[in-house]
Amino acid sequence: MNADVIPVSVLTGFLGSGKTTMLRHLLRQPEFSRTAVIINEFGEVGLDHELIEASEDSFIELQTGCLCCKIRSDLAQTLQDLLRRRDEGRCTPYDRIVIETSGLADPAPILQTLMTDTAIAGRLVLGGVVTTVDAVNGVGTLAREEISQKQVAVADRIVLTKLDLAGSAEPELHGRLDALNAGAPVLVADHGRIDSGAVFDTGFYDPRTKSTDVRAWLSEETHDHVHARHDGDIKTYAIVREEPIRAVALTLFLEALAEHCGDDILRLKGIVNIAESSDRPAVIHGVQHVFHPPAWLDRWPSDERSSRIVLITRRVPQRWVAALLGAIGEEVAGVNQ
Amino acid sequence: MSEAGELVRELMVESLAAWRVAGSVARALDGALVIAGARKDIRIERAPSHLPFRWTVTVDGRNRHATSVVAVLRQVREALDPGYPANRVRIAVTPLVPSQ
Repeated sequence: MNADVIPVSVLTGFLGSGKTTMLRHLLRQPEFSRTAVIINEFGEVGLDHELIEASEDSFIELQTGCLCCKIRSDLAQTLQDLLRRRDEGRCTPYDRIVIETSGLADPAPILQTLMTDTAIAGRLVLGGVVTTVDAVNGVGTLAREEISQKQVAVADRIVLTKLDLAGSAEPELHGRLDALNAGAPVLVADHGRIDSGAVFDTGFYDPRTKSTDVRAWLSEETHDHVHARHDGDIKTYAIVREEPIRAVALTLFLEALAEHCGDDILRLKGIVNIAESSDRPAVIHGVQHVFHPPAWLDRWPSDERSSRIVLITRRVPQRWVAALLGAIGEEVAGVNQ
Repeated sequence: MSEAGELVRELMVESLAAWRVAGSVARALDGALVIAGARKDIRIERAPSHLPFRWTVTVDGRNRHATSVVAVLRQVREALDPGYPANRVRIAVTPLVPSQ
């Protein structure tokens, strides 16, 4: 692996859900000593940065607005500046970047910025999304705030906070989290304290070992029995195909998904048995209508050879997605006969 | 002309539901699919074999051809749900996995 590739993790969660408290704890751990932090505060007077103890020169506060809407270009520019400072030795060396979003941010546009900005391509890689959820107010917040639902839906890891204050709502909260994003492991932070190895270790790229664990990244959800879950308009489900899928069929499928419901594909992850390359599965990942090029694994991570595509969507019926892939697959198979 | 397959019929049925368009999908005696909805009459059938297209889509008597079921879907949506917010796929420039 390229030693200079730096994973960028997104730490999100609704207002008051404990993002800053947890980040403050993490940055005190030795393994997080080489971490650059970007904090986005929404409001004229930022406070969160005052609570973070990090090296001054690898700490940046974005205060011009909400990261997801007003200052996406600012984020790209900030990341470029951070890389330049690292290259020129003008900051404490870092091998990880954490972006703490404002509590009102939609993480999807932030992920898209990380995926599509040409100036940072090749230097940064998406490290994963960690979402904090307040165990006291989480049920109410998820019921009331659509942005909170999206923050949970796109997460690779969910961190429950304020459990010491939580009452009987906790089982209900677990049910809602499971409905929104069953694939994301749920961790617990105790006054910000959390297993630092687990929280940003989303599996796909580990900067310490410079290796990938696609099974962990895709989560057990894609490997075991997959049941559709839903919470209001947001639904999580998997499309499973035993037969290999032609590469062109996968391309047409993703194009049609993007065209007809791109805004409502909150996240898509999958491992696909491509007919033209059945020994090397393709891993696919998308956020709304933006997709990474497929990553080709050297081998299958288990004996399972079926294609499994997990979608977290808003108002996109599973039956439509399955019918789309079925009809495209049949047509492409007919052309190849 | 051969008939539209069962999977295409299923896709059209599910598409109406996904787009929240009230309507129906039926099969004509010759095997073509007939969609009625949003005050449109749509007919989907295989294109004649001498044409370099796979499909013919007729909307309110006007024929258009399509090269794939994805293109058929686009034409049907344009007829039933004009102005829908179509997105084009965008491919990320950053890799999912760092290169070797």
